Amino acid sequence: MADYSKKRFLVIDDQPLARDALRSVAQTLGAFTVEFSTNYQDAIYRIRQNVPDIILCDYVLGEGRSGQQLLEELRRFNLLPDETIFMMVTGEQSYEQVVAAVELVPDDYIIKPFSPDKLQLRLDRIMEKKNFFADYYREKRRQEYAQALAILQACRTSEAGRPYRYEILRQQAEVEMASGLVEQAEATYRGILEKFNFPWARAGVARSLQQQNRLSEARQEIDQVVAGTPHYFDAADVKASICMAQGEHAEAQKVLDTASQKTPRNYQRKRLLAEAANLNGDTATASAALSDVLANDSMPGAVTPADRLALARTHVAANELIGAEKVLLSLRESEVQNMALSEQASYVALLALSLPGKGKPRFSGLRPALMVGELETAARIDVMRTALDLADNDLADHQCEQLMASSEAKKLFGTLRGLYSRYGREMDFREIQRQVALKRIHHEVPAAG
Amino acid sequence: MQHLLDTLASGIHDAKNQLFIAESLIAASEAKHGLDLGEARYAIEAAAGRLSRTLSAYRLMRRGAQLAIVPCIVDDLCREVALAQKQHLAQAGITLEIDCQVIDEWPLDRDLITDMLNNAVQNAGRFARSRVVLSARTTADGICLRVEDDGPGFAELPPRRGTGLLLAERLAELHERNGRKGSLQLGNDGALAGARFELSLP
Repeated sequence: MADYSKKRFLVIDDQPLARDALRSVAQTLGAFTVEFSTNYQDAIYRIRQNVPDIILCDYVLGEGRSGQQLLEELRRFNLLPDETIFMMVTGEQSYEQVVAAVELVPDDYIIKPFSPDKLQLRLDRIMEKKNFFADYYREKRRQEYAQALAILQACRTSEAGRPYRYEILRQQAEVEMASGLVEQAEATYRGILEKFNFPWARAGVARSLQQQNRLSEARQEIDQVVAGTPHYFDAADVKASICMAQGEHAEAQKVLDTASQKTPRNYQRKRLLAEAANLNGDTATASAALSDVLANDSMPGAVTPADRLALARTHVAANELIGAEKVLLSLRESEVQNMALSEQASYVALLALSLPGKGKPRFSGLRPALMVGELETAARIDVMRTALDLADNDLADHQCEQLMASSEAKKLFGTLRGLYSRYGREMDFREIQRQVALKRIHHEVPAAG
Repeated sequence: MQHLLDTLASGIHDAKNQLFIAESLIAASEAKHGLDLGEARYAIEAAAGRLSRTLSAYRLMRRGAQLAIVPCIVDDLCREVALAQKQHLAQAGITLEIDCQVIDEWPLDRDLITDMLNNAVQNAGRFARSRVVLSARTTADGICLRVEDDGPGFAELPPRRGTGLLLAERLAELHERNGRKGSLQLGNDGALAGARFELSLP
């Protein structure tokens, strides 16, 4: 048995009696320090302040929050080291359905009622597993991916690794994805599927195919996952992003609408929904989703200038220039100064349209950089829109050409053509499209397929 | 139908939360006063197990029922059954032995399989004279989980199907892998000369 007396426990539960029960279970294991959280926000605050060794978290947290959301949020902000144990506590058998599908799983879950002995058995085995993976966790945290993969390779062939063979393969695939070895990741996920048809592994195949720009194959795989496990919402996100890459924005929005209704407080999904809705021309939905993000994504640092720019962009697309101006002016000058070139470009482009007196001079000031700089997709579109509006054809066409030559051409085609035709330049757009296609044939650059 | 299932599930969920509070209060008094109230806790867990099993039976008997398959360490699963049953069986003078030879992780529905093995060991304990053995082996095309006892064996073969056996059969066949399904075998030819309950999973 591991020694629990020196471990710091954090019990998260909104029900006082259940909280006391969890505390007494932890104390029976010899725990000396047991802290409490009564709600989601407080839990995040405490974990940020001082990461506990062992988290016992009830699945139902009140206020429409779940333990699974908390776990996802902690991972998203990198607040949960691999060494910390996260144990979900639940009275509902249905949580196992969640765990069987999703990518982000707790270290384990335990169904109420349970004895202190049973919790201890579970915690002991998690400790064994974490010990087994300790070297790997260290290399992964340092982003030494080649080292991490070498360790996993050794784990896979070791006798001690036999009880963890799926976990080893899963970690291997994740590291391969993270380090850009997408073809290897695909092979690893397919290897897992040969052993068993896990939904998360098939979603992994889809993600790696998407990274390779093999979009129709990716779509086929992810459609299968979404149809088979409708409660696997991460798969809905993957599907939506593949649909967008294929230019099927209505389908992307539909998938995200459904998933968002089931997970109303998942703000990453809301951002994705806004992106799909914008591409789909549904600025009302995009604007509602982004306003919800700005008002309610309450994790410190969660709402970034990029979110405000996205909302301003949505207002501009809907021709609600006063709304756009209001959002842009809510950004402090110091925040604007600290932005990278892409965000600055978006800021001045959107400002030039919504508050021309102030925005236009800044836009022209940045123009030389916009003609040569590497910009992110959203920034290129913003710059292109404003350049079209100012009849700066060289700048607009330059951005359009870059976008049409990128791997996102399919995704953006409708938006770009729409903007050109709004300014009466549809024929010019066709010419740009033709030129890019010619160059592609010339250089034999494959298009997304 | 879905609505009824949700109502049942939520009622059972509340009941299990209450049972957890009761069990924790008992465990805390045991620790505080140096008592052994293991049988009281066993009764609480058995009641909770019964509630879960009723819900699972209802859920799994419907068409299109889905399992939650996760990679599982079979030895851990056996140890959990031992933890839940050993002390209780010892009260009746019966020893529970565990013999797990499966080392690799295996994809299965951990909660339902554990519950089913708990149920099988409980049943075996009711008829055993002095021994129950839970064993796990790899076979040519999967794994085999077996519960045997040294009692008189099933009175008739095949035995009458109660909730537990119906659920076990359904659970076995829902475990499907590369086109092969699991199966349940019952017999009186166990290694201990009593009943044999054997679940094969692909």
